[in-house]
Formats: sequence, structure tokens, C-alpha cells
Amino acid sequence: MKNPVLPASGTFEINEMTKNYLDPGKLGALINKTVFKNFRPGNDPPRIVETSCGILNSVGIPSKGIEYFLEYDLKKLCSYDVPVIVSVAGASIEEFSELVGMVSERGMGNFIELDLSCPNLEEEKIWATDANLLFDLVKKAKKVSALPIIAKLSPQVSDIAEIAAAAESAGADMIALINTIKGMKIDISKRKPFLGNLSGGLSGPAILPIAVYAVWEVYEAVSVPIIGMGGISNLESALEMIMAGASAVAVGMYNFVDPGFMLRLIDELDNYLLENKITNISELVGLAHKGR
Amino acid sequence: MKPQGNSRGRIVSLKVHKDIYIDMEIRDQLIASTAVPGQFVMIRTLQEANEHLLLRPFDIAQIMPEKQTLRVLVKVKGTVTEGMRKLRAGDEITIRGPLGNGVREIPGNTMGVLVRGAGSAAVLALAEKAKSENKTVITFFSASTEDALIGVKYFENCSDVLHIATDDGSRGYRGDARDLLHDYLKEKRIDCLYTCGSRRFARTVKDLDAKKVTKGYLFLEEYMGCGVGTCHGCAVRKEKEDGYYLVCQDGPVFPASEVIIE
Repeated sequence: MKNPVLPASGTFEINEMTKNYLDPGKLGALINKTVFKNFRPGNDPPRIVETSCGILNSVGIPSKGIEYFLEYDLKKLCSYDVPVIVSVAGASIEEFSELVGMVSERGMGNFIELDLSCPNLEEEKIWATDANLLFDLVKKAKKVSALPIIAKLSPQVSDIAEIAAAAESAGADMIALINTIKGMKIDISKRKPFLGNLSGGLSGPAILPIAVYAVWEVYEAVSVPIIGMGGISNLESALEMIMAGASAVAVGMYNFVDPGFMLRLIDELDNYLLENKITNISELVGLAHKGR
Repeated sequence: MKPQGNSRGRIVSLKVHKDIYIDMEIRDQLIASTAVPGQFVMIRTLQEANEHLLLRPFDIAQIMPEKQTLRVLVKVKGTVTEGMRKLRAGDEITIRGPLGNGVREIPGNTMGVLVRGAGSAAVLALAEKAKSENKTVITFFSASTEDALIGVKYFENCSDVLHIATDDGSRGYRGDARDLLHDYLKEKRIDCLYTCGSRRFARTVKDLDAKKVTKGYLFLEEYMGCGVGTCHGCAVRKEKEDGYYLVCQDGPVFPASEVIIE
């Protein structure tokens, strides 16, 4: 990776508009909106609403399905000189393996992320809430994968370290966390939930402390690298995440606030390293754990 | 000139009408020199520490490249627009744009406009374009009351005929602007009809389009996170197949036959 900044899955797309604001080739990595086996339209609107220092979304991951993705979107992602993470989600353990197999066969991309933790999928489980189930899922996916596996975890568990350790022992090469946290907003004028899907996933600066703590806990429990995300909105929040143990940080909601934000963050991190005479960002990873 | 992210726009003038409508002229060279009628901008006040972080979408009501400015009409309805009301000429705002697909070609020679309240802002720039191309502009402007006829003075300049209807009869026809539209269509023809600001109006335009009375177009407004096609928040259901369009990326102007108005 050229730098430790990448988008969180589903929060940044390369299109004619975003290309005006950001050169995707300058990011640390690229990632797709999680792809499913079949077409999914996504949830009914309203799908998004702002809350204090964050947003609730119930987009529900629209997807054109894996075949379309492999044929068109993946090629586009791979046309930049940047590592590509392919994010997949299945309706069953077998389907996860099937998707991982299909991506592997295509011979494109550099990593596969298993989205085990989207809170907006009515019919699917949050896989990352059950260590045994997760272990089984990751192990089977790893078996058929030609690429390193990233397990994307949810903070909505009683012991995130246990879950991450299960993922690692099943063969996950990296841990990504956190996904959004389930929440709800009531429209008091209509006296009913605001979002079309009733509940949504909370993201943005409101969840930063939850994410930093989750990264901290997981850093203590595993030795594989961590991609930290949840509330990255400036240099300081990125540094917090890195010092808690993240080797890279992913930006989510702030891509909506300012589509040019990720490049600015990369510059600010570079300046921070220069000013503090740090030769490599890896020197900062997990620094907050040392000498306690 | 290429944007590197959000920019700072400076407010040239700002007037507040009846406490809830803001008429704002903003200087932003890039947006004023590149925007096309039908496009929109995202705006937020500068307070970075504010708990509201997302920019809000606003239609570009007027594009004035010679002055390097654009006009935006805002109805105050939440905390963010409430904050905008306190702005003064000379203040800076955070702005991003131009966004969405503009309308490059207006079909036919006679353009109809059916708008309600602050929704009129969306269609204004397009009506001005039609006028500058020597097309005939027939406007049906609706509001709850005279006080809510925000933007009507701009339509006076670019409409060949301006019909006004208010719910309470405080100005113009008392009742539904669609009555005036239907009366007009009994005798004359309009080649295309653009609407914004009312779901009821959108359904009417869809209906007229389906009956081939005119070509109908809808300016849609939805809750939006990013305005650049990445958050998938501003979804509107497709008419002809399963799935959704995104208002920011595929619109904000849609042929009436393409979308379902819930």
C-alpha cells in the first residue's frame, strides 16, 4: 500500500462525479460495495438520515450480482495502480465460499473481504456475532481462496477480541472493523420510524470511540494486521485509530461529507510523520499499548 | 479548473422572506461558470464543530456566469437551514457542485412549468434557458398562501404567461394550480412540462405524459448524503424494471415515465 488510507466498503464509488474530486490511484487501496451472488435492489427509501455527529443508513447494499461485478466493476477497480479488496457477502456459509471461489478464479484483485457484519440485511445473519459460526465460515472461505482473506467484524458483540481471535485462528489474514451499529430514528411529526427499513446502521464521528476501543481490544488479541474504521473525520481520529492498533484506516461517512477528504487525510498524515520525524507510519501502529 | 473537494463560496446577498424563505446569491467561480440548468449544489454552513456534518442539496435557481454567482432559494425546515438563515452577505459557506445531470435540451417550442413553493427554484434556471432560446414559457405557480410564493418574481421575467394559484386565494386563483393547467390544455398545447415541489403535481405530470398530452419531466428531491452517487441514499424506484435510480447520479431530472412516485 502506498499509504494507509482507503474507503470503507460501500462509501465510495469511482464515477464521473467522484473522479472530479479525487484520483482513485492515490488511495491506499480500493474496495467495492459488497457484492452478493444475485441482484439486490436495496431497501425502500428514506435510506439515510443525519443524526448527531453521524448518519443512520438503511441502504441495504444494492448489488448487481457477482457475475456482473466480475465482468465490469472489478475490471474498473483493477485499472488503477492500487491494491483492490473485493468485498463479498453470502446468504449462507456455502454461498460465501462459492463467491470467494468465483473471485479467486477470476484472478483479479488482491484481497477478499468477507462482510460478516452488515446490520441492514433482513434475511441474513450478522455472522460476526457468533464465534463458532464465524470460525466455520472463515475456515471454509479460506480453503477456497487464492487471495488473502479479510474478516469484517461488528462491534455489536460482548467480546470483540474473542470473535477476532476466532477469525484469525480460522485463517483470516487481516481483520477489518467496525461495521455500522444498529440504530433508529423516530420521525416525531409522523410518529413512526424515519427510515424505510425502520432501523439503520449508525456511522460517523459519533461511533469513533466505539471503533477505537474495538481496535484496541482486537490488537491485544490477534497478531494479523487490522484495518480500523468508524468515525474517521480528521487527522486526529486517524491517529487515534492507528495508535490503538490499526495498520490502515478506512473512511466511511466522511466520503459523503467531502469526497476529496481521503486525499487530504493522506497529505495530513504525511505532514504529521515529517513534523514528528517518524520514518514509517508502522512505528505508530499500536503505540498506545506500549509501556502501559 | 478542477475541484479538490468542497470549496468555500461567499455570500453576495441574502434576504429572508417571512422568516422561512432564504434567497441567497453565492459567489463561486467554478460552479457559476460550469453549471447547467437542472444541476444542484450541496451546502453547509462553515461550523465544522456543528453536530450536523453532511451538506444539504439545493437546486441552482439561477446561474449567472458573468457575475460568477449562483442563486439558491431555501425553505427553512431543519437545524441546518435554520443556521443558514443567520448568514449575512460576506459570510462564507461550504459548497460542492455543480452536481447531477443538467438539462441540455428542452424538447419543442413551448415549455410548461408546474411548480409549488420553494420547489420552483429547481425549474427556474431551466425556464430562463428556455426563454433565452426564444421558447415560450407557460408557468403554473402554486403555493399555500401569497407569502409562500417564493421565487415568483423571477418567473415573472422568464414566463410568457404566469398563472398563480394559492390555496387560500390570497393571490391569484384560489385552489389547485392543476385546474388552471387542465383548462389551459383544453385549448392549447405545451410540448413539455417540468414539475417540482409536490408529489401530487408529479403524479399529474406522469399522468399527462402517459396520455401523451405532453412530455413530462420531474425534478426529484430526496434525502441525500453525498450528492455524488456513492452513498445510495437518494433512491427512487424505477418504473420499468426492478431497482432504484439515484436522484443525484441519474437525475435530479427524470422523464416522468421512468420513475414511480410513491
